[in-house]
Amino acid sequence: MSFVGKDIPHDSARGHVSGESVFLDDVPPARNEVFVDFVGSPFAHGELLSVDVEQARKIPGVAAIFTHADVPGHNDIGPVIKDEHLLVEKEAVFLGDPVVLIAAESRDALTRAKRAVKINMRELPAIFSIDEAVAHESFLSDPRIIQRGDVEQSLVPSSRPSDLHIIEGALDIGGQEHFYLESQIAIAYPGEHGAIVVHSSTQHPSEVQSIVAEVLGVPFNHVTVICKRMGGGFGGKETQAAQPACMAALVAARLKRPARFVISKDDDMRFTGKRHPFKALFRLGGRDDGEIISLDLKLFSNGGCSLDLSLAVLERAMLHSDNAYFIPNFRVTARICKTNLPSNTAFRGFGGPQGVVAIENIIEEFARKLALDALDVRRRNLYGIDSRNETPYGQIVRNNTLPKLFDVIAKTSDYPRRRRAIADFNRTSRTQLRGLAITAVKFGISFTRRTLNQANALVNLYQDGSVIVTTGATEMGQGVNTRIRQLVADELGIKYDAVIIQATNTDKNNNTSPTAASSGTDLNGAAAVDACNKLRLRLRDLAATMLANPQNGIDSDPEHILFRDGYVFDDRAPANRITFKALICQAYIERVNLGARGFYATPGVDFNRETGKGTPFLYYTNGVCCSEVLIDRFTGEMRVPRVDLFMDIGESINPGIDRGQIVGGFIQGMGWVTSEELKYSPKGELWSHSPTTYKIPNITDLPEVFNVATLPNPDNVVSLRRSKAVGEPPLLLGISVWAAIKNALSQAATNGDATALPLPATPEQILKVLTQHAARAAAAATPPVPVAK
Amino acid sequence: MRDYVLIYVNGHRHELRGARAFQTLSNFLRYDLGLVGTKVVCAEGDCGSCAVLVGRVDDNERLTYRAITSCIQFVYQLDAAHVVTVEGLKHSGALNPVQEAMVRCQGAQCGFCTPGFIVSMCGLLEEQEKLDENTLRAGLVGNLCRCTGYESILKAGMESNASNVKRLADLYPVQPLLAALREHAGTPVHVRVTESDREFFNPVTVAQATEFKASHPNCVLIAGGTDLGVQVNKGTRDPAIILSLSGLSELRSITHHDDRLTIGALATLVDVEHHVEPLSAELTKMFARHGSPLIRNAGTLAGNIANASPIGDSMPALFVLNAEIELTGRAGARRVNMNDFYTGYRKTVIAADELITRVVVPLPKAGEYFRLYKVSKRHDLDISTFTAAFWMRRENGVIAEIRIAYGGCGPVIYRLRKTEDALTGKPLNESEFEAATEIARGEIAPISDVRGDADYRLQLAENILRKFFFDITGVETYDRVTGAKEVDA
Repeated sequence: MSFVGKDIPHDSARGHVSGESVFLDDVPPARNEVFVDFVGSPFAHGELLSVDVEQARKIPGVAAIFTHADVPGHNDIGPVIKDEHLLVEKEAVFLGDPVVLIAAESRDALTRAKRAVKINMRELPAIFSIDEAVAHESFLSDPRIIQRGDVEQSLVPSSRPSDLHIIEGALDIGGQEHFYLESQIAIAYPGEHGAIVVHSSTQHPSEVQSIVAEVLGVPFNHVTVICKRMGGGFGGKETQAAQPACMAALVAARLKRPARFVISKDDDMRFTGKRHPFKALFRLGGRDDGEIISLDLKLFSNGGCSLDLSLAVLERAMLHSDNAYFIPNFRVTARICKTNLPSNTAFRGFGGPQGVVAIENIIEEFARKLALDALDVRRRNLYGIDSRNETPYGQIVRNNTLPKLFDVIAKTSDYPRRRRAIADFNRTSRTQLRGLAITAVKFGISFTRRTLNQANALVNLYQDGSVIVTTGATEMGQGVNTRIRQLVADELGIKYDAVIIQATNTDKNNNTSPTAASSGTDLNGAAAVDACNKLRLRLRDLAATMLANPQNGIDSDPEHILFRDGYVFDDRAPANRITFKALICQAYIERVNLGARGFYATPGVDFNRETGKGTPFLYYTNGVCCSEVLIDRFTGEMRVPRVDLFMDIGESINPGIDRGQIVGGFIQGMGWVTSEELKYSPKGELWSHSPTTYKIPNITDLPEVFNVATLPNPDNVVSLRRSKAVGEPPLLLGISVWAAIKNALSQAATNGDATALPLPATPEQILKVLTQHAARAAAAATPPVPVAK
Repeated sequence: MRDYVLIYVNGHRHELRGARAFQTLSNFLRYDLGLVGTKVVCAEGDCGSCAVLVGRVDDNERLTYRAITSCIQFVYQLDAAHVVTVEGLKHSGALNPVQEAMVRCQGAQCGFCTPGFIVSMCGLLEEQEKLDENTLRAGLVGNLCRCTGYESILKAGMESNASNVKRLADLYPVQPLLAALREHAGTPVHVRVTESDREFFNPVTVAQATEFKASHPNCVLIAGGTDLGVQVNKGTRDPAIILSLSGLSELRSITHHDDRLTIGALATLVDVEHHVEPLSAELTKMFARHGSPLIRNAGTLAGNIANASPIGDSMPALFVLNAEIELTGRAGARRVNMNDFYTGYRKTVIAADELITRVVVPLPKAGEYFRLYKVSKRHDLDISTFTAAFWMRRENGVIAEIRIAYGGCGPVIYRLRKTEDALTGKPLNESEFEAATEIARGEIAPISDVRGDADYRLQLAENILRKFFFDITGVETYDRVTGAKEVDA
């Protein structure tokens, strides 16, 4: 019996539903433990003049107060380049930038001490938006380019064929708060001889390890980082779990006491990075029939105050701004803006969503301009199977399921009929407006930084036949541990329940990659499978000896040994079998090594950032989604009556868990494009810093009709068990809701006017567009009933 | 008089004295009792991760359980109550059918919100025989999940074999609990902590309450606590003297009589919602969008009124219905029309010794037009960006009388007197309403804030008038709940 391919419940589910799963703040305080928090800059940009902590020190229960001068090692914690301080030395670069670290015996004393700290700072001019940064030439990077063909030549009027249309425009793309329910947290326990153990809610234990070591000025091997689970990550705990971990570790190391850093949801939202806001400027040339000839795209991202992962995010945005479409002449130029906001960081999709919404917006605009159906334009320009299948960066799109996905969704969603019905509806209804759109995703799987595409795993067998697996994968709810258990159980031919996955621990798995880029199972699962292969090779020699029966013609031949359903047998005499447990017992007696370390490095991937060419991805995860929206013309309020979502995720290792990723990802993407709005004060303070003001989708926002299906695709031979990574791609299908809103609004425009719709399309934005359309209609003295094209 | 709070948790008795009685319920559960299954995320009642079930002795001398957010409840509000946490929901050590269904349906991913969902679903099953999709969508509004997209949770709810879920009365023997809670419910509680100079008083009669209020003019009143809890958690308020009204069982009742609803000040919003359900679809819809079930199970209508926020969801309706607020002081009770109740931003006519004891709401009659609107960034569990209420009567084909109130448009709820005057005596047609939109816009003074710009609210001031016209003239209009037109006139 195989466990791979089965809908096995999440391996923590029983603990989750009973409240027995342990998250970090559920760990009882150790003896002598202190609570840690910080006081940050009152300005988004300021020069630190002095710090007065005298009053705070006098508060009973305050154990210590530290500033940058107390950092024993480096104060710089930048994950990629060293441009990010742990504690402000001279210049604060965002509002809340930590200046003073406080340790106290109780949460209450900590709160009072924070209020008593006085930070004397001189306010400096600050910038927050992409437009301001561009105007001030405030950047974190040089421009990067990916290009093919001749964009300039193909867009100059003289060389244009007569049927070439050019459109241009801009799109403002908002950021997004991760809103993992468990806020950033770390607990540090001091050890002997300068060693320290840090329990961190992190997607990247190895990076926390190295940064903590550098902050403390100790070798990496003195720092152990452990992550049992996270209450959600979504990219927000890839690099930015390091800061809380460093704060707890610094206090623990200095005081020789356990130290716990727990941040409130409000402070977490105010002071940590988000999805990068982007601005996209485009010029597109295409023919009457909808064929796109040329695209000149400029992307600016808002990186915030430091680089963090912004380069890789920008790169993925560039690599996804073709999305599912072949564009012969293509140029994307992109640059990161430096602003006085917390450093923006990884977020599920990692730039992909911004690149994809940029091109999907352009296609909607282009279709409107030509009075074509946007679906026809999309299908006209899809990557081909045998031709038109090379991306602008030079990768061939293999096992291309996009045309098939579009064929099926157009039928199953009843798209053509519904488009007509909607157009009729919009012509007659003065109170409501409907819209319908299909968008696609072609998401590249692999880290674009080649080095990160590696993983190791440890598989240890015990004498009763039970198994412990550890890998570098961290569990944040996505089910990576469940999937790896399934894989290991199958590889060893034993029961799923006989395998457990222990907490991710840098003592056991070293130099691990972040659990990110949808790659957790692909990489760590493959490493675990490699370890199982090694164990099986060792064990089958012994098994062959044990099962040999020369009288019956069964000689000792390891090639014939199989591991199935808890038994081991020679496939020539399957009835003569021994239990897996008996084999392990004997193996121990015979001194066979019962632990193995597996390793995996993704073959073939490489990308040259300088030339913008290469094969960055092992494969693509594809999907399409048809969304319908219904809008109140008076208030701009919107709902989603129906969604049809269709994906190619290869052969699923766990269909139940994958469906959870698909639906959860889609809804998160829908939140990004509709209700999740980051609002700041003019001084750069986040106003929407809690769920009261920052609105992630609610259960009532789940579409009333929500059809989710997957394409049977046994041909993705390059990946683990022909599965495909599924963590991020479905998020990008949330863009179909935004495109449907845009479609609805464009039908309220007279004279085919363009509809510039910023993202997120909140009720306020929607009404603003409707009001603009109405004003233009009034100016043109057309009848008040909006006429759809 | 008692100097301790009596609270049962998962069947176990606790007496809390001194400073311990002032902490939030979630802190008490997590840090004092180690019941860490109850999670705290937002500390403002907006995510539901901290949901627990609270059982109180009701008017029929039964123990009824409702799910609430424990992060914005203080221990002293839970006097004489039985709290059941996620740890207390298993059946003899085994997962209950709701928990089993959540496992089976992959309803938990990261798991942080999961205990809250389990509690909410078990809470729904205290009142429902079966959980269908609509019940679950409405009933789980107060629980946010960032991982699943809710589909698997809905499925689990629908697949829970509800008939096998034991009611809490079966898990926790009722009689001994009832006896202990009843014995304590009749005594007022007064706890004073001299070190931190803090006290609270839980009276059991209105007279005790008014007396205390008169002698402690700086005291802060707390009923459901769903706003005060947030303010305390976020450090914007730290009241030293608290008058907690949760023991005033005489103010829990709601009566309906001569087209008037008399709502006791301690009646929860969910009680009001249930009462208005057969009486007014508009009021029902409005209450159904007020916070979430977790909030409405604790919050009160009187609290919403006394809180005096211009974005309180219930107020515009009470303005146009000419609701009356009963204020009781040492000298007795008086009634104030809602339209005269507020004197400025968060200011009311309540005198030093007075508290709200009842709210009297004249219900719309047959033939009257009554419409309520709430515009928010997210449909459910969101604070309104803009609210509006319309009440109108026609005679001989013209508008004989019209009352319009807008909320979220300035420091107070506005009655739109000029717009009302302009429409009075006019025929019910589009051009009259179109002409009035400009007047409506001129009668409000909105600001730009996190929920929307002033321009948006000014536009809504016009558009809601248009929407009202389309609504009452029978043109199909947008309704998030039904997707099409709705009827209530």
